[in-house]
Amino acid sequence: MQTPLDFQYIVELLPILFNYLGVTMEMAFLGFFFALILALIIALVRVFKLPVLHQLAGLFISFFRGTPLLVQLFLLYYGLPQLLPVLAGMDAFSAAVIGLSLHFSAYMAESIRAAILSIDKSQVEACFSIGMTRLQAMRRIILPQASRVAMPSLMNYFIDMIKSTSLAFTLGVAEIMAKAQMEAASTFKFFESFLAVALIYWAVVVFFTRIQHLLEARLNKAY
Amino acid sequence: MIKVQNLSKRFADNLVLKSINFEVSAGEIVVIIGPSGTGKSTLLRCLNYLEAPSAGCIEIGTVKVAAENATAKQITELRKQSSFVFQNYSLFANKTALQNVAESLITVCKEPKSSALKHAQDILRQVGLAEKMDQYPSQLSGGQQQRVGIARAMAAKGDVILFDEPTSALDPEWVDEVLAVMKLLAQQKQTMIVVTHEMQFAREVADRVIFMEGGHIVEQGTAKQIFENPQQLRTKKFIARSTKSYISAFDSCML
Repeated sequence: MQTPLDFQYIVELLPILFNYLGVTMEMAFLGFFFALILALIIALVRVFKLPVLHQLAGLFISFFRGTPLLVQLFLLYYGLPQLLPVLAGMDAFSAAVIGLSLHFSAYMAESIRAAILSIDKSQVEACFSIGMTRLQAMRRIILPQASRVAMPSLMNYFIDMIKSTSLAFTLGVAEIMAKAQMEAASTFKFFESFLAVALIYWAVVVFFTRIQHLLEARLNKAY
Repeated sequence: MIKVQNLSKRFADNLVLKSINFEVSAGEIVVIIGPSGTGKSTLLRCLNYLEAPSAGCIEIGTVKVAAENATAKQITELRKQSSFVFQNYSLFANKTALQNVAESLITVCKEPKSSALKHAQDILRQVGLAEKMDQYPSQLSGGQQQRVGIARAMAAKGDVILFDEPTSALDPEWVDEVLAVMKLLAQQKQTMIVVTHEMQFAREVADRVIFMEGGHIVEQGTAKQIFENPQQLRTKKFIARSTKSYISAFDSCML
């Protein structure tokens, strides 16, 4: 018969898990960075309705929003190398970052596109009226305004991504969830181990939510 | 300097402009009047290619664009020849008054930032906004915003400034300060085409008044001709109606 709850164990486990937080956050930051770039490109393709690319972007978004992230990660890491042997050398960490980027870029592209479309048409007309091109208008006037609109939802996706990195343990990435799983398996203290890892995720998310609010407040003060 | 030939604009089944022809010479101040919904604003927007004409030809300065085969490059060049003052100001919301005015100099004319800002400061001083340069549009009154709008149009180095009902959205208290800036421009012989319902302004400032109705130019002439001796019946009716408010105010004083 086990003791109901081993607090001592949780307290000891927290700093051990904390050492693996770096890998988790590295995945989240890299994933978000690439997702943002990709999302911006997809959003612009959709807004400008570029022929062919526009339809491809639609297909991309449909697929990556229409299938589970876990399935996408498996497909990318275990499946694709069978088809393309070049990818056989891809390590689990890179695969996780690529998978997260692709998945989240599909969602983020839609919120960036919505933010761009939310900017009043008269702003573009004003750009045109002084001789600016469509691209100049986008870069100087529309995107800066749209970024303020998109910020809250993009930050939400970032927070969601931090939590989604936990799926990378299924590829064998030694991140915080993988460590918790290992500790649980070796001590049989499943509840304590997973509670500890949950607490760390929670603390990180609370921290970034706080940053999100500060950022929004700052952006809203500007104009 | 401006030459419009057979300009037509169709929105779905609605022919808003019916083969318009007119010319404007350098330094001329043209005021377009007429009932609402007769294509005045559409005409002005076509000149700046904010609306693409369905047919016809627009020539401003050295740039000529035919509706049938206009390229994106031609359109951008044509837009550089004119600038536009919007009814609802349409200032860049993410830029200060100064940045709004400097934007065309930096992005379109490729001026170095420091000289563009200096130039923009000079223009804002001319419209009486020296104190408000670092304010965002949301921090300015309607009249101030519209003066920034005019300053922005002045900075863009076009040959002509197009005004689309620049005072219609303003509270009455702000109208005069905007008209004063426009009169200042008129004195400097800035070529202007103004769509407005301000009849007093048209009388005082216009070199030529164009009366439009139903997508046609019905009549044009000097302000004196149009207001005091209109030839067409439709013009007479419109002038009578739009000056009736003065007369009824006068009547009630007499009673």
